[in-house]
Amino acid sequence: MAASVLTRFCINKSKDSIRFIQRRYRVKTKWAATRPTFPATELALHNFDTSYSIQLRDLWPSIRVAMLSEQKYGALINSFSSAPNVITELEAQGCKDFISIDCTRNEVHQSSLDSMTPHRDSTELDPAALQPSMSPDIKCLVFPKGDISRFNPARPDSSGILGYYLLDAASVLPVLALDVQPGHTVLDLCAAPGGKTLALLQTHSVNHLWANDLSGSRTMRLRRTLQSYLPKEFLEENKIHITSTDGRQLGMTEEKSFERVLVDVPCTTDRHSAMVEENNIFKRSRTKERQKLPLLQTQLLLAGIQATRRGGNIVYSTCSLSQLQNECVVQQAISLAQQELGITMQVQDLRWFAQCFSDTFHFAPQLSVGELVLPHLCANFGPIYMCKLQRMN
Amino acid sequence: MGTHVCRKQMLRWMWRWSVCPVAVSRGHMPFCSTQGEPHQVNPSHGGQVTHRPGNQLSLCSLLEMGFSETQAKEMHEGATKSRGKHVPSVMTALLLLGLNPSSILKIMQKCPEVYSLKGADLQQRIDHLRKMGLVEGSLQRMISHYPKIMLLPVKRVNMVSRLLREKCLFTIHQVTDILRDSPEVLEEDLAQLEYKFQYAYFRMGVRQPEMVKAKLFRLPLSELRCRHCFLERRGLYQTPDKKGQTLILNPALKDVLCVSEENYLTQVAMATAEEFHVFRKLMAREQEEKGREDEYSSDEDEEDKDDVLHRRKHHWNTGYKKDRK
Repeated sequence: MAASVLTRFCINKSKDSIRFIQRRYRVKTKWAATRPTFPATELALHNFDTSYSIQLRDLWPSIRVAMLSEQKYGALINSFSSAPNVITELEAQGCKDFISIDCTRNEVHQSSLDSMTPHRDSTELDPAALQPSMSPDIKCLVFPKGDISRFNPARPDSSGILGYYLLDAASVLPVLALDVQPGHTVLDLCAAPGGKTLALLQTHSVNHLWANDLSGSRTMRLRRTLQSYLPKEFLEENKIHITSTDGRQLGMTEEKSFERVLVDVPCTTDRHSAMVEENNIFKRSRTKERQKLPLLQTQLLLAGIQATRRGGNIVYSTCSLSQLQNECVVQQAISLAQQELGITMQVQDLRWFAQCFSDTFHFAPQLSVGELVLPHLCANFGPIYMCKLQRMN
Repeated sequence: MGTHVCRKQMLRWMWRWSVCPVAVSRGHMPFCSTQGEPHQVNPSHGGQVTHRPGNQLSLCSLLEMGFSETQAKEMHEGATKSRGKHVPSVMTALLLLGLNPSSILKIMQKCPEVYSLKGADLQQRIDHLRKMGLVEGSLQRMISHYPKIMLLPVKRVNMVSRLLREKCLFTIHQVTDILRDSPEVLEEDLAQLEYKFQYAYFRMGVRQPEMVKAKLFRLPLSELRCRHCFLERRGLYQTPDKKGQTLILNPALKDVLCVSEENYLTQVAMATAEEFHVFRKLMAREQEEKGREDEYSSDEDEEDKDDVLHRRKHHWNTGYKKDRK
């Protein structure tokens, strides 16, 4: 039986009686033509229920309800804006910069730590890795746990630059994990629409940024985003190089060129796929494309690995919960890099990182490699998967 | 048996009132005089009786009905304050029901408007409820717990009953059960009532017997929707397809609705209270925005259908609805 019930009725006066016809039965040919028989969002949900109930077990119902409810945003502060009170105005509404709060709390904790805790894999942890080494310049404000307030859209300052960028606050984590130091050249392999790119630029440490995306239209969007957030002078400095090519090619053409690489691959965008019907990757016409995703993701990661300098860091991230697109891709890429290219990659432990931010986000317990932010009604960010690797030779 | 004794008492009192407006009694001294004069209560006891034949309740009669002194005083004050003109006949009707004095007092405390009714009206309404199938025992219980029901005209009760039978297709027995378990139903807006039924029937796939067992109409629509959608979005409840089938076993409606929130969370939803409270806030906002959206969409019907469908999809997409007509 039809599930959507509306209280509006149309009144059909025929002969002597007045018949109440429910709105859904009123003949509306346009409606009938555009309505799908089995929506892609339901196909997506069915797919998730099948795989994630096994993968995540007891955690899945809470994640499911969070993904189907309104997500929580964070306001990434644009330090290029000349507006004076952006942060104070936002803080007046009740939100706080989770990065500075979680970091300062963690630093206090770290300084009181005496012994090293045993490690889950065999690599040695040096003391430097224990301290949160991340750029303090990135600021992202969020409302407190359980608070469902929304942000108002950002307003332009006197030069038309917007004060903040609204995104899923968990999207900032891969950028933080990347740990860009001053003077670094950075490659963002799948940059559009530009949220993470913008966060990278907020570190003020980027010597040169190469932002690439496969699709021309998405690259245009990236350009527009950067134009709304960066002053013209900055854009004219030629610090940013935007290309619209297949990221897999960049591995060969730009070998060993970058200190830091961010590979934020195309994925099944779980939250988006469960809610939005338009151009959904789970629709039947895109099935082949979806099934080839893990292969594409592995190739992109390999290209990123090739483009990384020796000693450089590369962060792989997706916005899916699927093991096939996350841990499996990373492990496959690591072994292929070793066997086919002779490149040794070392996984960088991000457990301290997850610990640091565990007050703001819900992390999945004990992944084999990398960290996963889980959607939860009290902290409705994510899903975001990230894994940090270092090139050893 | 109690009723029988009551009726005898009633006849005695009625005779007394008609023949002798002033209560004649010998046992209860402080309040009455044995002379045929308008009596005044001993000022030290605080009350006052204005004498009008047959229409006012006197303290003596109250005491005779079985009220204690304090109870009688309170009843009397209430009656005077309400300025009800037919309080004795109201008392008659209530006593005929077999209600004991403390129950009657509680009713008047809960619902002082009862004082202002006409005895004949009240009797008519009580008889009507009996006709609806509310037998002795449940009738008294219902009136004691929900005295407001006596304020509702027969017409209103009929309208609700007709809606339940004709639009919602409940049987007469089921309607009686509904009235007995959830008398609030009689005061609810008819459109809202029907919507609540349709929500349970179409959206949740529940049928009438289950609805009655689960005392569906006790819960406000927002709470019903909240508990249901929470389960649905967690993957623990599915709307049955047109064959009535689901991929999972849905919890019984009574296990969802008739339990305390704590039990619902631990046994059915298996979630924390914080999650549920955040969810409730989100649902309230979703509903508020959907309401505003409905207002707009009725004006801009054809052009924006895709967008509205999009957003509607957002609101309704929470489970498997394999059959969409």
